[in-house]
Amino acid sequence: MPLNKKLQKFSATVRSVELGTGDKTTTLGGSNTYPFYTFDNPTTNTAKIGIEISDLGLAEEPDCMKEFYAGCETVVDMAKKAVTVEGADFLVLKLIGGDPNGENKSIEELVETAKSVADAVDFPLVVEGCKNVEKDSQLLPKVAEALQGKNVLLMSAKEENYKNIGAAAGLAYDQLLGAESAVDINLAKQLNVLIKQLGVDVGKVVMNVGSAAAGYGFDYCISTLDRVKGAALGQSDDSLLMPIITPVADETWSVKEASASEEDVPEWGSVVERAIDMEITTAVACLSCGSDAVILKHPTSIAAVASMIKALV
Amino acid sequence: MAKFITIGERLSTTAPAVNKAFLARDPEPILARAKQQLEAGATYLDVNIGPAEGYGEDLMKWAVQLLQSNFDNVPLALDTSNKAAIEAGISVYNRAKGKPIVNSADAAGRIENIDLAAANDAIVIALCNGEGIAADNDERMGYCQMLLERGMEHGMDVNEDMWFDPLFLVIKGMQDKQMDVLNFIGDLTDMGLKTTGGLSNNSNGMPKHIRPIMDSAMVAMAMMKGMTSAIVNPNDLRLMETIKSCDIIRNETLYADSYLEI
Repeated sequence: MPLNKKLQKFSATVRSVELGTGDKTTTLGGSNTYPFYTFDNPTTNTAKIGIEISDLGLAEEPDCMKEFYAGCETVVDMAKKAVTVEGADFLVLKLIGGDPNGENKSIEELVETAKSVADAVDFPLVVEGCKNVEKDSQLLPKVAEALQGKNVLLMSAKEENYKNIGAAAGLAYDQLLGAESAVDINLAKQLNVLIKQLGVDVGKVVMNVGSAAAGYGFDYCISTLDRVKGAALGQSDDSLLMPIITPVADETWSVKEASASEEDVPEWGSVVERAIDMEITTAVACLSCGSDAVILKHPTSIAAVASMIKALV
Repeated sequence: MAKFITIGERLSTTAPAVNKAFLARDPEPILARAKQQLEAGATYLDVNIGPAEGYGEDLMKWAVQLLQSNFDNVPLALDTSNKAAIEAGISVYNRAKGKPIVNSADAAGRIENIDLAAANDAIVIALCNGEGIAADNDERMGYCQMLLERGMEHGMDVNEDMWFDPLFLVIKGMQDKQMDVLNFIGDLTDMGLKTTGGLSNNSNGMPKHIRPIMDSAMVAMAMMKGMTSAIVNPNDLRLMETIKSCDIIRNETLYADSYLEI
């Protein structure tokens, strides 16, 4: 009997969001099938990869990253090197130093760092805050203001601070806005509704619906991705048709499989290989469950994930 | 299944203000009522111009173009016994937001409206009655079969483009028939058919403050039976909130705390 292929067609399409300006832009989203289901419909846009650096430079980075960025004296030097990595579509600058429980850098200093990075590289840029809700609600609007005209993505507005960050990024300074919820599909939708009610153009919103390292509550994470994508496409839900970006490196590099030294657990083998494997495994699972973009750290991981994306579409 | 589809009923010649505006081709009252209904969440708008003998074609064209040009090609149900007027309306209709609905055909004198819908790639509301109200569900199902056959003969996609109307009956006077109607909706659902109907018939003659309550209860019970659409007053807030809540319970749309606002 001949195989009768039944295609799964959705009437909705995930919105395409363009990051960056001029020749150097990259597009997030734009698909109208489940991830990599090219047999249902040829994919018009592929998943994208961001490479992350932080304002803390190399101070807290593992040895393998210190090796890769060897010779870089400043964050700007690192940024220049990062954007040359094969497979990276955009740069992610994390302003971790702003954390009041950490270095507690001033907003002025962090904005200066963001500006110097944005000026130094001609590449699509994402700026992440320090993850402290109050500090980010002051910091990210200032970054949005300083980087006007660069069309950067600011991550992230949460339920607690979406008004400040949303008004600055989405209304006053015409940047892209990240909406972050933590593995809660109902909140993911709710936050998008609230941001829309604020007056922000939903075509400029990207979601982070939560992330985890593989093996660390990861089933909740991927089921959230899967259900958000399913509701967005299957129910043509306008409040969920934003592209999804998932910060992967943030989660994977700190777990023990990626960080325990070879002296402590010789039977686990090379720590660099473990860390890279963890990063690749997590990223691939996120992409196959609905992420339109992932944020990674190591060039080897980026090359591997980029080649997988290329092979599948 | 999909989200429940509401067809706004407030553009009807039975309302004197609308009738007057239709006759005078006065856009303002028509646009105002259309806007109210769409803002309240109506998907389709019903355009009931009455029989409109002699001027129906001109009037329907005018109404279709007026509404679609002002409201981003809003999908419309063309509601008249005047076949030429329906065809005239379809001739200027823009399908960007959905096919036109022919309102309506029945299993008696108006069965030819199925042919009309088929010839024009339109949706048709198919009333499961003949001459007079069906006595029981066997009779309703007999009419349904006649309508189905007619649709199939004319090549319609009967599962998508024929929306069967069980005919809601007035509770005051026909209270003992209400569960029949609801069970019939269940039967149609089991057959994989889509359903619609003039919901507020059930509360006819009841005090004004009761009607939204009864209509809400009826729509919830009908949605439990799989009903896919209804012709309603979208400006009845209680009713619209009930429909949105039922869509959440039926898992047709993802819950968010602001679900009533979207």
